[in-house]
Amino acid sequence: MALLAALAALSMAAGVAVGSVHIPLGDVGSILANRLFGTALRDGMNGVYPAMVLDMRLPRVLLAFLTGAALAMSGTVMQSVLQNPLASPFGLGVSSGAGLGAAIVIVTGFAAGTAGMLALPAVSLAFGLGTVLLVLWIAGRIDRAMGNVTVVLIGMVASLFFNAVMSLLGTLSPAYAQRINLWQLGSFSMREWPAVWVLGPATALALALFARYAPEMDAMTFGEEQAQAMGVDLRRCKILLIGAVAVLTGTAVAFVGIIGFVDLIAPHVVRRFFGAAHRRVLPAGALFGGTFMVLCDLAARTLTPPREIPIGSITALLGAPFFLYVYFAGGRRDRGC
Amino acid sequence: MLSAEHLTCGYGGAPVVKDVSFAVSAGERLCILGPNGCGKTTLLRALAGLLPHEGTVTVCGTDAEKLSRRELARRVALMSQLAPVYFSYTVYETVSMGRYARRERRLLDRDSGEDRRAVRESLERTGLWALRDRPVTALSGGQLQRVFLARTFAQDPAVILLDEPTNHLDLKYQVELTEGLKAWTEQGGRCVAGVFHDVNLALGFASRVLVMEDGAVQADCPPRELDRALLNRVYGLDVAGYMRENLRRWEE
Repeated sequence: MALLAALAALSMAAGVAVGSVHIPLGDVGSILANRLFGTALRDGMNGVYPAMVLDMRLPRVLLAFLTGAALAMSGTVMQSVLQNPLASPFGLGVSSGAGLGAAIVIVTGFAAGTAGMLALPAVSLAFGLGTVLLVLWIAGRIDRAMGNVTVVLIGMVASLFFNAVMSLLGTLSPAYAQRINLWQLGSFSMREWPAVWVLGPATALALALFARYAPEMDAMTFGEEQAQAMGVDLRRCKILLIGAVAVLTGTAVAFVGIIGFVDLIAPHVVRRFFGAAHRRVLPAGALFGGTFMVLCDLAARTLTPPREIPIGSITALLGAPFFLYVYFAGGRRDRGC
Repeated sequence: MLSAEHLTCGYGGAPVVKDVSFAVSAGERLCILGPNGCGKTTLLRALAGLLPHEGTVTVCGTDAEKLSRRELARRVALMSQLAPVYFSYTVYETVSMGRYARRERRLLDRDSGEDRRAVRESLERTGLWALRDRPVTALSGGQLQRVFLARTFAQDPAVILLDEPTNHLDLKYQVELTEGLKAWTEQGGRCVAGVFHDVNLALGFASRVLVMEDGAVQADCPPRELDRALLNRVYGLDVAGYMRENLRRWEE
């Protein structure tokens, strides 16, 4: 775990230092110390470095880390709550709902100016949460116990339906199709502090909540009936945890768009090294997901300058082979999750 | 310790269990017998509080519906039919989850000395202590079945409900499991109620037998007093004749 934390710190340092302009690590440290502790800046430093670090690189790296951490935790929780190693928060319709909200804002032109800067994430968060509520409500109506299969199926139906509506919007107003498409692939280029101030506390709160419910999630991985027989108040835990995942994922998606794959693979990779117990998987998954996302973002903006590769493609491009390597390199070990 | 009064339940359509009443007292081992689809497992699920039902289930003198999940789990443990496991907890971690309902809410240092003692005792009772660090995903069906039994013991309930607990076990472990459960019941203030597939094993284990047919109780008596004609009718087979034929094979 300490190693993972060190790796996280290292990746963030690299994320701040490396870019179209390379800033020496010593200068980065000096700038941070100047801002945090009021120490003097190093002599002879390039005058634009402080602004680059504080206004562009640092918030972007922090946002990437928080997004990765938030998605990794959400994925872990969904897989356990739904007792399904393939489950992910996006399967609940969070992303498609949020995507539809964003598309509506873009198409109606509501997003112009500074008001739009806030309107887009706010509306997409509202749509994302609304979709999850709708999914849970329908699932609860069909099956009072809200069985896992029911929730997953309704989530899939909702996802596909809202995706279709979003495509329809894009087709009907081709002028905006490209913007909608770009949003869907995700990006950290909206590298602003407000996003960090919202997502940071949200991620920390979620980690605390999930840690509190770690024993319940441990039990839930053995199935609904067994968890209940062990004394878990299944319905309450399920609603609470799914709700928290929806808020967390919805918040992340609202700021950065849809970035897949991390939520699915981070829990599996971490379980390989730390076992399945949630009190270890959750913090380790957050560190791993964050680090992975920072490195992916670094690759996204440095591999093909000056063009930026959509972060969603990078996570899948780097993530898929890495995942296969970690998962199957174990060789003779068991193939559980 | 455990009783059902006019219990009726099902899955939405026609009731699967119809107006079932019985009581199990401390020290008793009740085996529920009957052909496939007669409502054995449904009855067990209702007793465990997993299925909404009409009628009353009373556990240790309290209406089960008035107890919270956690309170119920301190009194009643259910050992489900073997289900696949997807997450690689160790044997020790899995068994220690049985302590969930007994643990006070603490974020750090969650296992008390009492928890650790109970987990160790359950592991030793089921012969799993040596396997405690193995991931459950790497176990055979029979070993996994024993892990779930150990978790049931660790829950330290007054009533253990069993749903076909010997399905995946070798003969040796079938005998060990039933002997282990007998010993557990004899420690006082405890009872077992279980659904069994294997009539032979059930008659050897039970102190009382409940025979079900089409959701209703047909007999409730000690195994010795069981009416053979009833058993033949319920199973649609000359049960005793079948067993005798098997015995002859071993005597040749």
